[in-house]
Amino acid sequence: MIQLINVCKDYLVGADKIRILHDISLVIKDKEFVAIQGSSGSGKSTLMHIMGFLDIPTSGTILLDGKDVSRLSDDNLSKVRSEHVGFIFQQFNLINNLTVLENVMLPAIYSRSETNFDFKKKAEKLLIRFGIYDRKDYYPNKISGGQQQKVAIARALIMGPKVVFADEPTGNLDSKNGAEIMKLLGELNRDFGVTIVIVTHEEYIASKAKRKVFIKDGFLVKKYL
Amino acid sequence: MKYIAYLIKSSLSDFRRNKVRTFLTSLGILIGVLSVVLMMAFGFGLKNYINQQFETLGKNLIMVLPGTGFRGGGQGLIGGVQFDEKDVTKLRRVRNVAIVAPAFAKAVKIEANGKAEPTNLRGTTPDISRLLNLEFEKGKIFTQADLSKKKKVVIIGGELAIKLFGSSTNAINKNVRIQNQSFTVIGILKRKGSLGSEIDTISVAPYTSLFSLNPNKTFFAIYLKSINDQTVPQVKAEVKNVLLRRYKADDFSITEQSELLDTINSIIGVLNIALISIGSISLVVGGIGIMNIMYATVTERTKEIGIRRAIGATKKDILYQFLSGAVMVSFLGGLLALIIATVIVVIVQPLFPAVINTFSVAVGFGISSFIGIFFGVFPAKKAADLSPIEAIRFE
Repeated sequence: MIQLINVCKDYLVGADKIRILHDISLVIKDKEFVAIQGSSGSGKSTLMHIMGFLDIPTSGTILLDGKDVSRLSDDNLSKVRSEHVGFIFQQFNLINNLTVLENVMLPAIYSRSETNFDFKKKAEKLLIRFGIYDRKDYYPNKISGGQQQKVAIARALIMGPKVVFADEPTGNLDSKNGAEIMKLLGELNRDFGVTIVIVTHEEYIASKAKRKVFIKDGFLVKKYL
Repeated sequence: MKYIAYLIKSSLSDFRRNKVRTFLTSLGILIGVLSVVLMMAFGFGLKNYINQQFETLGKNLIMVLPGTGFRGGGQGLIGGVQFDEKDVTKLRRVRNVAIVAPAFAKAVKIEANGKAEPTNLRGTTPDISRLLNLEFEKGKIFTQADLSKKKKVVIIGGELAIKLFGSSTNAINKNVRIQNQSFTVIGILKRKGSLGSEIDTISVAPYTSLFSLNPNKTFFAIYLKSINDQTVPQVKAEVKNVLLRRYKADDFSITEQSELLDTINSIIGVLNIALISIGSISLVVGGIGIMNIMYATVTERTKEIGIRRAIGATKKDILYQFLSGAVMVSFLGGLLALIIATVIVVIVQPLFPAVINTFSVAVGFGISSFIGIFFGVFPAKKAADLSPIEAIRFE
């Protein structure tokens, strides 16, 4: 469970302080499938970065399973990301000089946890499940966008995260591939109980989620809560 | 352990993708390490060679020279007195002196078969052979009888024999002309080879046979050997007392081998430091090359750094990733430099006694790793300190 209590985020633009997030309080329960919907510039990506421990709030508190993680050191935040969080991006963000299989296994390299399961076997299983096992030795720029996003999902799942954040996951895909990715995320949530938070500006994508949170100009819009 | 293997593996695959860049970067280090290692090889080689030469002469060799000798620094061998037979006779009486040999020296031309070669002519006694441990290719040193009969015989260096006669076999018992006087070659010295030693082109004759060149019957130097190493200080002191009765303290100097060796070693030491410093300049240039390329690489790979951070890499992970790349490039350069240096040393070995020892190898690897870490750490730190969010948005 991730809980945000009165979270604010300011950015310095030159000498001016600009508040991107205003007093956000929000709970993401385990096994939820939530869409954070907002237009471009609404602060939805910043919110996702803070919920995904990529960024720290200017003020307010973040609880992860009841533990305060809002003032963790950079190293500890990395550890939290490594163990509990998976990311899926609009531009897939695979590393082009690693093969598909190496990309999927990369989080395991950075994991400091003692769990000693076979990462390679798990990565291969995920690739089989997503139907792209035959592409495992390809480099990302040699496969299609839909396939790349599936690789990114496999990479997000390899460490068995509590929550997967998806930032406009279908933004760079055609509608057929987009629909397939959304179906996959739905299945992961339903069949494996993975908590999924999708950030999107598209009503259609948001409608696939079980709960919608609307953000506008850095404020949560209450009627959707 | 697995993590280190991963770092090495990923650096290697980066190298494979950027072969030209890797090659050029490590070339900078290669040249730097090569120059340092070669300078050391030549410096140590020279030192070893000179020490060996001195060892064959023996530590109990004492030289009496005019002027302030080697100790005075600037003044050198210029000035001072010219010794004569009286001095030699007196020095023979000093306690614990085993051998005394005076030497007259003159640079002359030696002629045979219509050829003329420059030579350093020494007029001395047969004892010089034992004193300087002369080794003969053919023949032997002249006798005491030759000396007293003022016989015109000469020993020549191996190189000189070849230049004048083609071989030492052809030279023996032949006549040569020195200052328009005929001398018979009765001995040829073994060639020492490298560094063009003076001994290879020397001529040695009984000093009594050279009075026409030396009408004052003086000597440039007197060589002594004490009976053993322990008596060197005592002999030195007594020789000094004997000579002080006739000359002023500034007019002569008494030098023992070990003293001379110390002086030469300290000169070579300074020379080595100078040479290595010059080599180090190219090493620094190579290091700056690494740094330059790495800064460019960090910018080029900003997005990748962001991605890695997002999936759990710590700052240290990023730092190590870039640092291992830098260290491996420079280590590679150092390794190649050592291989090339070894080949060069083997090639020049017949001409120059260069050496590569474990110390040079350790220094080669040590400095190349150090350069990699030192010049790699700044760009690697820059990469590690990038904000994950800004990095991942970077296009």
